[in-house]
Amino acid sequence: MRIEKCYFCSTNVYPGHGSAFVRNDAKVFRFCTSKCHKNFKMKRNPRKVRWTKAFRKAAGKEMTIDSTIDFEKRRNVPVRYDRDLVQTTIRAMKRVGEIKARRERAFFKNRMAVAKAKQRAHRQKTLEKAKVSVMLHEPMAINETPKIKEKIKVPSKTRSALVQGDGRSMGMEID
Amino acid sequence: MGRLRRSRTHHAQRDVHRASRTRARTKDLDQIQLIDLDPKNRATLEAQPIDYEKPGLAQHYCVECAKYYETDNALRSHWRSKVHKRRCKQLREPAYTIEEAEQAAGLGREGKRPTREFAIDAEMGVATLA
Repeated sequence: MRIEKCYFCSTNVYPGHGSAFVRNDAKVFRFCTSKCHKNFKMKRNPRKVRWTKAFRKAAGKEMTIDSTIDFEKRRNVPVRYDRDLVQTTIRAMKRVGEIKARRERAFFKNRMAVAKAKQRAHRQKTLEKAKVSVMLHEPMAINETPKIKEKIKVPSKTRSALVQGDGRSMGMEID
Repeated sequence: MGRLRRSRTHHAQRDVHRASRTRARTKDLDQIQLIDLDPKNRATLEAQPIDYEKPGLAQHYCVECAKYYETDNALRSHWRSKVHKRRCKQLREPAYTIEEAEQAAGLGREGKRPTREFAIDAEMGVATLA
C-alpha cells in the first residue's frame, strides 16, 4: 500500500480516494479532492495559493529545515518484513512525532513573537496618524450650544368630524 | 437560499469550460521551462518543417507561450505584447513540480542526503533507522 501526496495541497491521498491526471509525458499528478483538481486545471501555482502546504513552506510559515521532517522517504526497494524492525520503527515514529510537535510549537511561538511586535508597531503608527487628524483633534460638537427643546401646546381635537356612512363609505359631519 | 454563484463570468464566450478540456490542454509551464527553453530544443521548435495542419504552416512559433502565429508580423507584435511579457516573467521563476509537492508534505527521496546532520537526533535520543 502506498500513500500518495496531493500535487496541489500536499495532503495524503489514500488508496481508493482522490483522482489522478496523467499528462502526455507520463507524469502522474494526484489530487486529494476535486478542489485541488480544479485549481490545477486553472493552471494555478500552488506556491501562490495560500491554503497549500507549498505556500506555507515557501512563505516561512512552517519548519522547512529540520531533521524530524526527513524520516519519511519513498522507497523503491521494499524492506523484508522483520518483527524487531517494525517494533523499533513504531517506537521511533512515536518519539519522532513527539519531538516534531514540540519543535513546531517552539517555531510557532517564535514566529508569533515577531508578528506581535510588528502588529504592535503598526497599531502605534495608526494611532499616531489618528491623533494628527483634524477631525479627531477638534470636534465640532463642542462649539455648538445645545438646543433646548420647548414644549408647544397643541389643542387636541375632541371629536373627529368623520362619521361612518352607509356600507363601506365615510361621511362628514356638516354644521 | 439565494444565488451563490457570481454572475457575468462568461465574458461573451459561449462555452467557458472548453478551454479546460483535456483535448484542448496547452503545455504546462514546467514543460516549457525544463524542455522547450533548452537551446537545442528551442532551435528545433523555431525551425519546424512545413505542416499544413498548424496555423501559418508552423513557421511562426512562440516558444515561451507555446503558440503558433499566422505571419511573422503577428509573431513580432506578440513579442511586444503584455501577454508575452507576463509569460516570460512567469517562466523566470523555478517551475513547481511533483517533487516539490512531495517535499512540502515531508516526503523525501531515498539516497538523497537529509537537510541536516544526524548529530542533533543522537542527542535527543532518536533511534535512527537502518
